[in-house]
Amino acid sequence: MTKRQRADRRTGLLFLAPALLTLGAVTLYPAVSVFWLSLQYRIPIFGIARFAGLDHYAFLAADPRFLNAARVTLGFTAASVALELGVGLLAALLLRRQRAGRRAALSLLLLAWALPSVVTAKLFEWLYHPTAGLVNVVLGGHAFNWLGDPRLAVAGVILADVWRTMPFVALLCYARLLTISPELYEAARVDGAGGLAIFRRITFPLLRSVLLIALSFRTLDALRAFDLMFVLTGGGPANTTETLTVYAYRSLFQTLQLGLGSAIGVAVFALVMLVAWVYLGMLHREGTAA
Amino acid sequence: MLLIRIVLVLGCVLAAAACGDRSTGSAAVTLVFKHAKILGPSDPVPRLLREFEARNPGVRVRSESLPWSSDEQHQFYVVNLEGGNAGVDVLMLDVIWVPEFAQAGWLLDLTPFLEPSELDGHFPAAIEAARAHGRVWALPWFMNVGLLYYRKDLLDKYGLRPPETYAELIAQVRRIKSGERDPRLDGFLWQGKQYEGMVVNVLEGFWANDARVLGPSDTVFPEPERAEEVLAFLRALIEEGISPAWVTAADEELTRRPFQDGRAIFLRSWPYAMDLFGLPDSVVRGKVGIAPLPRHARGTRGVGSSGGAHLGVYRQTRHPEAAVALARFLASEVAERAMVEGAALSPSRMALYHDADLVRGHPSFPAIHTLAMAAQPRPVTPYYLMLSTVLQPELSAALVGIKTPRQAVAGARYQIRHLLQSVR
Amino acid sequence: MTRRGHVLDLLVLLVLVLYAVPFFWQLLTSFKPDAELLQAPSILPTRLTTVHYDAVLGRSLIPRALTNSFAVAVLTTLSAVALGLGAAYALARFPVPGKNLILLGVIAGTAFPQIAIVSPLYLVMRALGLRDTWGALILANVSFALPLVIWLLTGFIREIPEALEEAAALDGAGRIAILRWVVLPLVAPGLASAALLTFLGSWNEFLFAYTFTASEASRTVPVALALFPGVFEVPWGDIAAASMLASLPPVLIVIGLQRFLLRGLLAGALRE
Repeated sequence: MTKRQRADRRTGLLFLAPALLTLGAVTLYPAVSVFWLSLQYRIPIFGIARFAGLDHYAFLAADPRFLNAARVTLGFTAASVALELGVGLLAALLLRRQRAGRRAALSLLLLAWALPSVVTAKLFEWLYHPTAGLVNVVLGGHAFNWLGDPRLAVAGVILADVWRTMPFVALLCYARLLTISPELYEAARVDGAGGLAIFRRITFPLLRSVLLIALSFRTLDALRAFDLMFVLTGGGPANTTETLTVYAYRSLFQTLQLGLGSAIGVAVFALVMLVAWVYLGMLHREGTAA
Repeated sequence: MLLIRIVLVLGCVLAAAACGDRSTGSAAVTLVFKHAKILGPSDPVPRLLREFEARNPGVRVRSESLPWSSDEQHQFYVVNLEGGNAGVDVLMLDVIWVPEFAQAGWLLDLTPFLEPSELDGHFPAAIEAARAHGRVWALPWFMNVGLLYYRKDLLDKYGLRPPETYAELIAQVRRIKSGERDPRLDGFLWQGKQYEGMVVNVLEGFWANDARVLGPSDTVFPEPERAEEVLAFLRALIEEGISPAWVTAADEELTRRPFQDGRAIFLRSWPYAMDLFGLPDSVVRGKVGIAPLPRHARGTRGVGSSGGAHLGVYRQTRHPEAAVALARFLASEVAERAMVEGAALSPSRMALYHDADLVRGHPSFPAIHTLAMAAQPRPVTPYYLMLSTVLQPELSAALVGIKTPRQAVAGARYQIRHLLQSVR
Repeated sequence: MTRRGHVLDLLVLLVLVLYAVPFFWQLLTSFKPDAELLQAPSILPTRLTTVHYDAVLGRSLIPRALTNSFAVAVLTTLSAVALGLGAAYALARFPVPGKNLILLGVIAGTAFPQIAIVSPLYLVMRALGLRDTWGALILANVSFALPLVIWLLTGFIREIPEALEEAAALDGAGRIAILRWVVLPLVAPGLASAALLTFLGSWNEFLFAYTFTASEASRTVPVALALFPGVFEVPWGDIAAASMLASLPPVLIVIGLQRFLLRGLLAGALRE
């Protein structure tokens, strides 16, 4: 290595150091520390701190509440992501033909995405009000108890989440659609292809990679989702909307069991990292194939 | 040079004055008293605080209110007291928190400040709840006991007496409803929302069937089938229309109002409601009777849960003498008497229930006294709140019917066992 | 064609307005008098009132919370950018050992679930006595802001042709000078996008803010909104007004700084 290269290397590390140190402190250290916490019985207000080994994990493996939370998390993720992708794609197709008022259109669309999740939760809590909520009014005055009925609450949460995140998917698809040259469509139409065929043969294949990216982003976000269900329903009624994140949080800060809550957090961590790894593999293959 | 000297001298004088003030204690002391909103015709607390200030010149008391529900109040306290320097001196505590807060080291040991027989006038259950490890950690203030309210006029009309078993209660509800033919008349109202109050309701049901949550030597649900029976019963109340479906979203206030408007036959609640039923605009004024809660067929007797509030002093208060003085004042007979006259609550001092003046204004006091003497406390352990937060979703699932009683009890048992293991 | 096109454009806008109805409904609610709020099925109010905004601005914790949110968001953004710019430049241009691994780690950092790191962070904040301080929130927010900023800026810097920097180096400029005078002006738009996304993320953040603030005075807006007090009846009108105030910066960014926002969003996703 040349002297210049070694000097460069040093400067590079110098530039990198503050950020890496900060990340080490606020990201890496906690990520490692949470594993250690999960191996303890830790209740700070009573001064309880002793080694537990894998007790918490053994507990969770047979815990009906944990299994319920996992089911709720996966169900919520699957339904949310499927709806977001579907509706987002439709929205992008709609937007694509927009000539005038693009900025206004994007503003209206992105509004839902940009709002704080707590604001969205309050929005939908009001919309779902059994007597005065817009949803029930529009449905003809039936007093559905969206957030209080154990059979309806999950749907209510999913709807709010889809509303909030669909714009992101729509935006990605829209940006990609703009790069497809109109000549391609012209040629297809000249050949006599109808709308659906154009979509299947031209649009969709070109959107595949973007949809995959959107899919991976949204799946990871849905698995980690916390704010919306915590503020909207608190995990209720009767744990029907309690995702793994909410179960972890309640164990940590309501029953104050830091050890158990950390173990659930580690489970979420593992799940998210696993899914991220799978998606990275898929995206890599998609990238090299294209 | 002279100027500097003058400034220095002035500075020393001022500093000495300030130090002097502190040491003689004539500087104003401000105490912070945190308490929940007191229901009733008029709030007696401000007047009592002003009287305390008059009796203790140099002390000012600032009252701050807590969130509405017991669970929120607990969360608030835990979050604030845990960090130290909570900026509070006297706290109003739900009786179930006293062992927990004492264990966590947030309460000042009051034993050295009290006269030997100072606590004697309070209910035994209340004194029991204030003690841990032979020390006194809080002073009893209000006393609560779960009881059954019934419409005297309706029961009399059909020649019925207050039910002793739940089977009787159901039969009476059916009889009265078919007789009255009023579609808006509900049978039996109770609190089934997912919160501490619901745990109380279910526990009273358990005890009425000789079932417990915690048994000896850390056993959990030693009689699971009895507990499951009770959950099945509560669910059946809703499914068979004895109780309206909305009880699973109701708390004390949401059940008191319909009963006060004459739309229910039975109500399980606390003594405070009786004062409100006697108000001039109440539809059921003069028509309400109190009875002990019924028992289940397999149980020995119907039991009401004890409850209420205590007054504690924050361990890290900057003014321990003044704070303890305030707590002792508020728990004194004079203050409790004033509270009864202004608010809808039951005091913790037994003598007040047979005081001629008070009984005139609250004719049900002697009956409440008898019921309170037989009240059963919720498990007295520092870990009760942890227990309750685990129980709440499980019991709620059984009440709304998304889990069978067996699943709910099994799930609760599994989690509580792990919890008890953590604190061993 | 153009007439039909215009009609279609209008239709699409209408559909989007309908999509944003939850927001507009809340906006309307914030101006509805209390008496009409719970009367169904009233949609349009008979009159508009500012009583909810008066209550929120005059007698609630929201104004204080807005200050807290703003301060935390700005300081988080500044910290993330200050730390991230140098790091991104290093990763983009320098032969740092293990560069790819570091970059992979940074990308993994953006996928970290907050719930997993909140318990150790809680213990740390408690031990350092940082609860109820802006510092705690800034540190916690940096945990997700910094990886995002580094990732975005690395990409943006890579897009700049190296020739300009090489020319400057040949002229004898040092690395820091190159960063300051050559790279920074060129990456400024990208920097603005990254800063905007960071600001938004910090403004909207709830979990850490909820966990690390104890007293009412130190709450940020999402927490104050979530814990909005109500004794018996929920004050829907006041909550609506508070929600609108909490939405002000995001709405302004979406409408006024849309270009930068889009750039940031798309760059992160589309550059794989």
